[in-house]
Amino acid sequence: MAASKVKQDMPPPGGYGPVDYKRNLPKRGLSGYSMFAIGAGVLCFGYWRLFKWNRERRRLQIEELEARIALLPLLQAELDRRQLRMLRENLEEEAVVMKDVPGWKVGEKVFHTDRWVTPISEELFNLRPREELLHKRFGFLWYV
Amino acid sequence: MTTALITHILNPLTYIVPVLLAVAFLTLLERKVLGYMQLRKGPNIVGPYGLLQPIADGVKLFIKEPIRPSTASPFLFLFTPILALTLALMLWAPLPIPYPLTDLNLGMLFILALSSLAVYAILGSGWASNSKYALIGALRAVAQTISYEVSLGLILLSVILFTGGFTLQTFNITQEGVWLLVPAWPLAAMWYISTLAETNRAPFDLTEGESELVSGFNVEYAGGPFALFFLAEYANILLMNTLSTILFIGASHIPMLPELMAANLMTKAAFLSVVFLWVRASYPRFRYDQLMHLVWKNFLPLTLALVLWHLALPIALMGLPPQT
Amino acid sequence: MPGLWRSRVFDKVAIETFDEDLECVEEFIRIFFNNVSTGDRTMPGSVEVPTLNELNVEEVSVSSAVLKAAAHHYGSQCDKANKEFMLCRWEEKDPRKCLNEGKKVNECALNFFRQIKGSCAESFTEYWTCLDYSNLAELRQCRKQQHAFDSCVLDKLGWERPNLGDLSKVTKVDTDRPMPENPYHSRPRPEPNPVMEAQLQPAKHGSRLFFWSW
Repeated sequence: MAASKVKQDMPPPGGYGPVDYKRNLPKRGLSGYSMFAIGAGVLCFGYWRLFKWNRERRRLQIEELEARIALLPLLQAELDRRQLRMLRENLEEEAVVMKDVPGWKVGEKVFHTDRWVTPISEELFNLRPREELLHKRFGFLWYV
Repeated sequence: MTTALITHILNPLTYIVPVLLAVAFLTLLERKVLGYMQLRKGPNIVGPYGLLQPIADGVKLFIKEPIRPSTASPFLFLFTPILALTLALMLWAPLPIPYPLTDLNLGMLFILALSSLAVYAILGSGWASNSKYALIGALRAVAQTISYEVSLGLILLSVILFTGGFTLQTFNITQEGVWLLVPAWPLAAMWYISTLAETNRAPFDLTEGESELVSGFNVEYAGGPFALFFLAEYANILLMNTLSTILFIGASHIPMLPELMAANLMTKAAFLSVVFLWVRASYPRFRYDQLMHLVWKNFLPLTLALVLWHLALPIALMGLPPQT
Repeated sequence: MPGLWRSRVFDKVAIETFDEDLECVEEFIRIFFNNVSTGDRTMPGSVEVPTLNELNVEEVSVSSAVLKAAAHHYGSQCDKANKEFMLCRWEEKDPRKCLNEGKKVNECALNFFRQIKGSCAESFTEYWTCLDYSNLAELRQCRKQQHAFDSCVLDKLGWERPNLGDLSKVTKVDTDRPMPENPYHSRPRPEPNPVMEAQLQPAKHGSRLFFWSW
């Protein structure tokens, strides 16, 4: 087997130099650890501020609720009187309206009890214009 | 009579007209911003700086002949675009500005409920078109939307734990101390990405993958009905950004200067919308499995864990908001 | 109460109870549908409502912002009358029996507002206009005006603003009003069942409510 005339293409002695294939990104910005630390720090600051403000909000809410507690007796007294007044007016109106019906008892109890039964708005506004009942029912919603 | 006219016709119109105008100019802004990001000019022929382009587009769409495919379901085909736009406009009602259209106590729940109804518009239109492309596009869109709604809901839950209520107005009060972005930035990041997916925006706009689905669930639509879908989509984008603003970057309300509130809110929302466009210009589209894995395998566990954390931490540190 | 099975057995007792049941239903219908009564069956008595004269009390006709602005001072100044009224209302469960206490509440409130009007009208008006400016009428938005009002009131009337938590404290009320008897108008409790005389033995064949009773 004689030596071939063809010279095979071979790597240079000692092999090729290293091929530069590595991804080569410049390192910039903060390191991962420090970014993590900053993120956690921001979180902690946020929690601190938020919780401080939430505690303050609870105090403010107590203040608002106390305003209502203080006003409740006055509002309740006036509401009671208003309801009773409307009931009275209804009774008088009823006496006029039903005077021709024989055996009609004005102001007959509707419930089989001696307890005070808080009248519903329909009962209070029964003899008044429908507008007033609607206003009582939904007036608060319309004004928001 | 006059009162009824004002409350039921005029008041909603004062919301609807600005929203629709904002939507129109958002489309112009989108084309302009995308244009400049790609070193071209965007629309600049119709009117100065292309300012009249949205009007021209609108006129074109509404005078075009609306196609009604003969095999389509006739009622549903026309009903769903109307439903989509109606829902998108109704979502704006409880926004916490000084004199809102409806001052709801559970505004957050209202928005959640209505925005989850929006998938029916997509599903219905895709099915009613009686076309493979439309149906597959609709199914994809619906699957994506309801998946991301899960993480949106959980994020809302933990934000609500910080705030103490579903009322949108209380978010303003909560954020007088510090924007919720600071104590909940991981949530905010996930929220923003989820809103991108929820509104079917790039890079999650698989529903309109051009090559395989032609243009998603609305291939069969043209003219007016298409315009309704288009308006609904952009109104939803604006709404989601407004909501993000309310939740995380403090739409502060100065009681002695209530006029500034709406301007403040919408400026921040506009900023977030521009970031939406920036994202669209920058990122390639997700693959569908990646999209689903992102929400079910990353966001869902993370948000669940954060709900627990945000429940435990305020209790431990006495930082619970007032409960009423 | 007769159950379903008993109204099906038509002995006399059962029919009577069935009739009673029917009447109950009739009554129920009358109450709910406001029918003009068909029989001679009437409800007992009528509702007693005091006359308009008794109800005529001068009301405090001011708006909500004014009330809220004055609330804390009002709570501490009219403490006695308020607590008396609330105790009465709580014990009696009947607004008709607390009219006198209610009158005192209004008297005290009117007197309170007159005093403010006499001494600190200006700062008070400023305070409540500030509260009225926003929807929620939050107290925290008007601390400056509140401070002015508080110091004015302290100087001229000697009223001190109650501390946070003072108004919501549980208080004992010293009252002459006798404790009401039976405020709920409950019927007397039924007699307890007589003690069984007979000798009781366990059932011969076990419980019949159960299938395998062996």
